Amino acid sequence: MLRKLFLTLAIATSALAINGVAWADITILVPSGSEGDGLRAAADDYAKMKGTKVEIVQAPYANVFEKAANAGQTKSGAFDIVLMDDPWIPFFAENGHLEDLSSYFAKLGVPGPDNDFLAKSLSVCRNPYNTGPFVCIPYVGNAQMFFYDGAKFAQAGLAGTPATWDDVYKAAKAITDAGGGRFYGYVFRGGQGNNVVADFMPLLWSYGANLFNADRTKVTLDTKEAKDAMTMFMTLREISPKGVESFGPEDVGRAMTSGIASSSINWPNWVATFEDPSQSQVVGKISYAPMPAGTHAGSSEIGHWTMGITSASKNKQEAFDFMSWATSPEQIKISATRGNPPVRFSVFTDPELTSQPQFRHYPTLMQAINFSTPRPRHPKWPEIENALGIELSKAVAGTVTPNEALKNAQEAISKITNMY
Amino acid sequence: MVRSESGTLTAQLRPGGGLERWAERHLRILMLAPTLLILAGLTLFPTVYMLTAALQKVSPDPSVPREFVGLGNFARMLTDPELHLAVRNTVVFTSVAVTLEFLLGLGLALLFDKYIRRLNFLKTILLVPMMIPPIAVALTWKLIYQPQFGVLNELMYRLGLPAQAWAGDVNLAMATIIAADVWEWTPFIFLLMLAGLASLPSEPYEAAQVDGASAWRQFWDLTIPFLKPVIAIALLLRIMDALRLFDLVFILTVGGPAGATETLSLYIFKVAFTFVDIGYAAAISLVVLFVTVGFSTWFIKRLRLAD
Repeated sequence: MLRKLFLTLAIATSALAINGVAWADITILVPSGSEGDGLRAAADDYAKMKGTKVEIVQAPYANVFEKAANAGQTKSGAFDIVLMDDPWIPFFAENGHLEDLSSYFAKLGVPGPDNDFLAKSLSVCRNPYNTGPFVCIPYVGNAQMFFYDGAKFAQAGLAGTPATWDDVYKAAKAITDAGGGRFYGYVFRGGQGNNVVADFMPLLWSYGANLFNADRTKVTLDTKEAKDAMTMFMTLREISPKGVESFGPEDVGRAMTSGIASSSINWPNWVATFEDPSQSQVVGKISYAPMPAGTHAGSSEIGHWTMGITSASKNKQEAFDFMSWATSPEQIKISATRGNPPVRFSVFTDPELTSQPQFRHYPTLMQAINFSTPRPRHPKWPEIENALGIELSKAVAGTVTPNEALKNAQEAISKITNMY
Repeated sequence: MVRSESGTLTAQLRPGGGLERWAERHLRILMLAPTLLILAGLTLFPTVYMLTAALQKVSPDPSVPREFVGLGNFARMLTDPELHLAVRNTVVFTSVAVTLEFLLGLGLALLFDKYIRRLNFLKTILLVPMMIPPIAVALTWKLIYQPQFGVLNELMYRLGLPAQAWAGDVNLAMATIIAADVWEWTPFIFLLMLAGLASLPSEPYEAAQVDGASAWRQFWDLTIPFLKPVIAIALLLRIMDALRLFDLVFILTVGGPAGATETLSLYIFKVAFTFVDIGYAAAISLVVLFVTVGFSTWFIKRLRLAD
């Protein structure tokens, strides 16, 4: 009997050892959607070329942060690389979950990623922002753009690019008024949390307001500038479709592709959907513009996807080699053809790409990145975003006045950050 | 003498010694041991971890030692408005959804038991919602509620009624979650009630009919008392399940608008995995656990299910 038990144990151990041969050399955590799909395809190419097995673990947006944070806290080393949304970087870096890449670049004899990367794209990968060491390499060049149906805006009396939010409002209101409750001039993400915050921040900046003062000692939502931004946000809400209080990016995208809404703030990965005849009724009709101005110049929210090595990784050099390869000019160009906005100047200006209609937004997108603003860099950003998201949701749903929402958010964020 | 020699010989011929005999004597324990170890690992470890974490401040940085805060995490719960809102929403959701599910489930079971016994395919159709994965249920209802393209507003439009924001309307959002949950879980109650009704004895009903008792009196004085244990188990299971509602809210509203659908599970998830405040999340979970266990014990005792 005992011999049988030993035999079973021996078989189980052998099976584990055999499987061990097939275990991945590097494991990468990526979000669902085009960003993750692009990196998955790149990983397949890398595996074929280098013989390195790259395992891709794909999860919905919110779960990527959760999985990475959990792996970091438990030092599990489950993931060698994490494809991160840039506002998460302070949390991961300041809690010791990310590897400082300085020594890896030093081995290559360079101080950091080359200058073909856009400066703003590189800035988000330093912690502290723009000044600290590199803790990641940019991969997907997301920054919001203003999407609008040029023909409908022209019919509504606004020829050319809308330069200010007042321009947007006038044209969009005319479209909504004429739409009979079926067509709208503007649509936004009003869903509680990340959604509503993502669409509010560009307005906040374009009216000269910000979440914190320059030296990060005070929350600044109780200012006249923030109130002006909120006033415009609520004005735009009035001309948006019924139900935006629960809208996420898919709802906004669908409203645009069906022609129900004529303008919105959105991420560049939606361009491919807008230009796809199988998914869109507005192919060739949507124009792309930088963020409109308020009382100050408009600024897009940057939302880059960046690759960082986890501190618990057991394959750090292999991970760095993969990241360097995947973010090379050649691979970023291939990634662009797979639907991921680039982060390199040479790809943004590559005539082979810019001559194709599906990449006609590249000059605007590059401009949007160059004039973008990062979400406030704070290790408690997820909590801050939650608090602001709830108050903005209350304002959008009409349960508190816009000014009360700002006052409540001011208090809640002051408490979270200990800034009074 | 011969038997003794023969026994000694047999023992000598057997392979192995005392260890093998011990293993054979304790075979049942040895066979169960891996399962018991795995179960202990999966239940004891998280419970002990939760108990200790609830008394500590756990930093997201693994190099920062845990700080003992005693009942600090529990005291924090008293002044957390988002938690209070989540508790209120959870209580509203649980009481309304479970009541509706019970009434509908019992009503349908009585209907099937009395009038449409033979239509088995109808029973199967009614059970389908319960068998669909919760995430698929949530996504389906998201499409139904979609304000511009959803089936519900199309129906409203055709009936000449005004379209609604459904999940986006602060006054309707909780009702939309309840409706989806009722659709998904009424079949569960229906199934249990139907099984209960099928097991009822016929003699008391025959006697009641002879005595001239109305259908209502038979239902109230015979069916309900006979069904009491089944009703209690059905309610207990549904209440415990409803208290941990997550999927529908996460997909349909993410707790919004304006916190109108934020539930305890969603809030605990946010605290633990979005804010990475494990100590506070453990404290809330522990209180929820105690309340659920306390309620279940009271409920079982009250209905004398233990007898």
